[in-house]
Amino acid sequence: MTSPLLALTGTLRAGRHFTSLGGLASAVVLLATIPLLYVIYNSLQLSIDEWFGLWSARLPALLWNTLSLAVLVAIGCVLLGVSSAWWIARRDFPGRKLATWLMILPLTVPTYVFAHIYTTLLEEDGWLGRLWLSLFGETTSLPDLYNIWGVTLILSLAGFSYVFLLARAALSQPTRSLEEAARIQGASTLEVFWRVNLPLLRPAIAAGLAVVVLHVLSDFGAVSMLRFQTFTLSIYLQMSGRFDYQAAAGLSLILVILSLTFLVLERFFRSRQRYYSARHSRRQPLRRASPLETSLIWLWLGLITLLAFGLPLAWMLSWSWQAWAGNLINAEFWGYAGNSLMVAVIAATLAVIAAFPVAFYNARKRSVGSQTLLQFSSVGFVLPGPVIALGILSFLLAQLPLLYGGLTALLIALVIRFLPLAVQSQDAALAQLTPSVEQASRSLGTGPLETLWRVVLPMIRGSMATAWVLVFIDTLKELPATLILRPTGFDTLPVRIWIEASEEMLELAAPAALMLVIGTLPVLWIMMKNHSVDTRSD
Amino acid sequence: MKHSPSILLSCLLALILPIPSLTAFADDNLIVYSGRSDKFVKPVIAEFTRQTGIKVTLHTGKSAALLNKLRIEGARTDADLFLSNDAGNLQHGSDWNLFHAMTPSLVAPIETSYRAADNTWVGLSARARVLVVNTQGPWADKLDSIFDLADPALDGKLGITNSSNGSYIAGTTVYMLAAGKDKTRQWLRGMKANVNGKVFNKHRQIVKAVANGKLQVGLVNHYYIYRHLDKYPDAPIKIVVPDQSKDGMGVAWNVAGIAISKHTTKTVLAEKLVAFLISATGQKQFAEVNREYPTRTGVTASPVIPAASSYRVANVPMSTLGRQRDATLDLIEEVGMP
Repeated sequence: MTSPLLALTGTLRAGRHFTSLGGLASAVVLLATIPLLYVIYNSLQLSIDEWFGLWSARLPALLWNTLSLAVLVAIGCVLLGVSSAWWIARRDFPGRKLATWLMILPLTVPTYVFAHIYTTLLEEDGWLGRLWLSLFGETTSLPDLYNIWGVTLILSLAGFSYVFLLARAALSQPTRSLEEAARIQGASTLEVFWRVNLPLLRPAIAAGLAVVVLHVLSDFGAVSMLRFQTFTLSIYLQMSGRFDYQAAAGLSLILVILSLTFLVLERFFRSRQRYYSARHSRRQPLRRASPLETSLIWLWLGLITLLAFGLPLAWMLSWSWQAWAGNLINAEFWGYAGNSLMVAVIAATLAVIAAFPVAFYNARKRSVGSQTLLQFSSVGFVLPGPVIALGILSFLLAQLPLLYGGLTALLIALVIRFLPLAVQSQDAALAQLTPSVEQASRSLGTGPLETLWRVVLPMIRGSMATAWVLVFIDTLKELPATLILRPTGFDTLPVRIWIEASEEMLELAAPAALMLVIGTLPVLWIMMKNHSVDTRSD
Repeated sequence: MKHSPSILLSCLLALILPIPSLTAFADDNLIVYSGRSDKFVKPVIAEFTRQTGIKVTLHTGKSAALLNKLRIEGARTDADLFLSNDAGNLQHGSDWNLFHAMTPSLVAPIETSYRAADNTWVGLSARARVLVVNTQGPWADKLDSIFDLADPALDGKLGITNSSNGSYIAGTTVYMLAAGKDKTRQWLRGMKANVNGKVFNKHRQIVKAVANGKLQVGLVNHYYIYRHLDKYPDAPIKIVVPDQSKDGMGVAWNVAGIAISKHTTKTVLAEKLVAFLISATGQKQFAEVNREYPTRTGVTASPVIPAASSYRVANVPMSTLGRQRDATLDLIEEVGMP
């Protein structure tokens, strides 16, 4: 646990400009590692025998389940995300703008809502269940989602948009000159894709996959609804079934090590190559899609949309209508919506502010220390929500009891949980910023802060907005930490969805889920607007 | 542009740290950490507020999670009372010394087996683990014990929930204590073979599957049967209260109950709420919304369900449900129940 401290002291000795930045970054990362310290403290209470018991009884199955799920969901997300991003970024076809929207709308549906909707739809009297039985005969058994394939389906549908977003952004970058150069040298379309586009896409796909895999490793909603034993579910069951915090902490620690290993590997492979975009590159009009291409594109995108958004939306609308008809949408409901919105806005803003020093420090320093800080800032994302919540709860009560009560604990936990999203997208943007721009600004006599304010921040404005939106969306959907840390009597929409859904009160769960979708639309719009501004400014 | 980074840092800290408490509670307000469905609690609480003028804030969640929270919060907790659907959780809280012992005369109307020995919690309503049987199938009149569910002839005809279900675990604890570990292990193994890895997430789905003939029998809490019959009064299902033969162990019960937080400053108010929930009217209402059995002797349950006096309940004190839960979980894991 000394690495952030080492990094901290290291930065104190480093150059003047980096000192304060490094200090800030270290402060943020120290805050983020509080839950990890809690985990380490608790797992130290485990005896060797208990560790051995955990190891032999649980770990092999948990490791296998978790890792295979991560690989399958990653494959699923790349298939859905890169294919759709390619068409949308590289072909001009009717409804292209709409298609972009349709590919990101699934982000508004939480995994536990996905899982709940699909299990309900696949019951014998659900829409899909009835369709299935009429197609394949009444005696056939319905597809079962309570296994790795079901969880893979749910998590891929819920997560591919992350890969789509980053791949689309990368594909929209003006790299035509490179492609043309390759073509002049006689490369075929496939070769261009394989040897020019794909390597250039790799950082984006890797960043998208990192987000997806971290979501898988930390997902609580879908795995607990579908009872698929991953680390998160097993940890939760240790805490709530047996009240065994130590075993839960032991498993959490292994999960953290696993996730950090993954992140280090991902970063290692990504950092071996770095590409700077040439901002003066020529922009060409998109190639118009032929009618056949257009129908194929829409067939594919339509299928994705139907599964990832259309069906869930139809389900929500149908049950919300019943709630509306039954006068169940009352002042209390709007209160939950207001609570959700307030928490998400504050948490997203705090996370984006807190992430910047970490990302910027690493972008400029690229040292072992800055890399280490960056890795450790991810710790909140790889710890299960309930564990973060208990860690923050214990820390605040023991160290800063005056801060307990109110929203503080919840906000800290949410910032810690989703800081990595903000760090990742800011880091990716800063990595593409050519240092020469900054150097030019400095050589003209501008101070570091003014350079930051007038040169760096405007150039990564789009990514800052994206980071804010990503955190906002995840916070709006967050369940496990909110359940534990929300102030007394303070319910958010996910909390209500979870309470009503576990009581089978679908007419109460559906409008709350629908509100999440509606509440996310404006911020998605902001993000998309930012993206188009970015591309126009070229 | 003369900003110093330390200003940035202090802005950051100022933003994160002192966000004031949004919810200030008046002195005559009670806060209940509730692990029971709002739908069942709210009407009763509304009646209490109407009668006494005391406002109640419900903080709803899963029993176990709320108990964890109560334990970690210690003296800093907002909670005045803890309401749980599971006697096991209540007893855990007692064992961790989280609860205030209630005045003996207050809880006296509730039979001793439905409350803690030291009166740190009291049971309010009970549910029975029963069989739901399809009345048109070959098994309509053949089943009278939960141990029949291990019969290999029921292969593919039995519905049970997954083994992390709280009612399932509590029921298994009762069987383990009433019939012995070996017999319970055999029973679990038999059921495991009969369900072929296909278990249900919801009791509701089991009742539905039995009603439409896909299954012949299911192990459920009694009230799920009546919820289904509300919607489909002609459904071909019936309740079987199991293990009533002369040497049978009796049916397994589990109670929902309430405890007063040790750290509340509002003991008098909190006892008023408990007194209301224990009173004849409170009992009737609390149990009836979910068609459970009132724990107070003399208060009758909904006439739709079998009268509690018409059958025998397994002789296992509710307080052991919490203490034996780990042993039950070990047994379930040893067998590898899905």
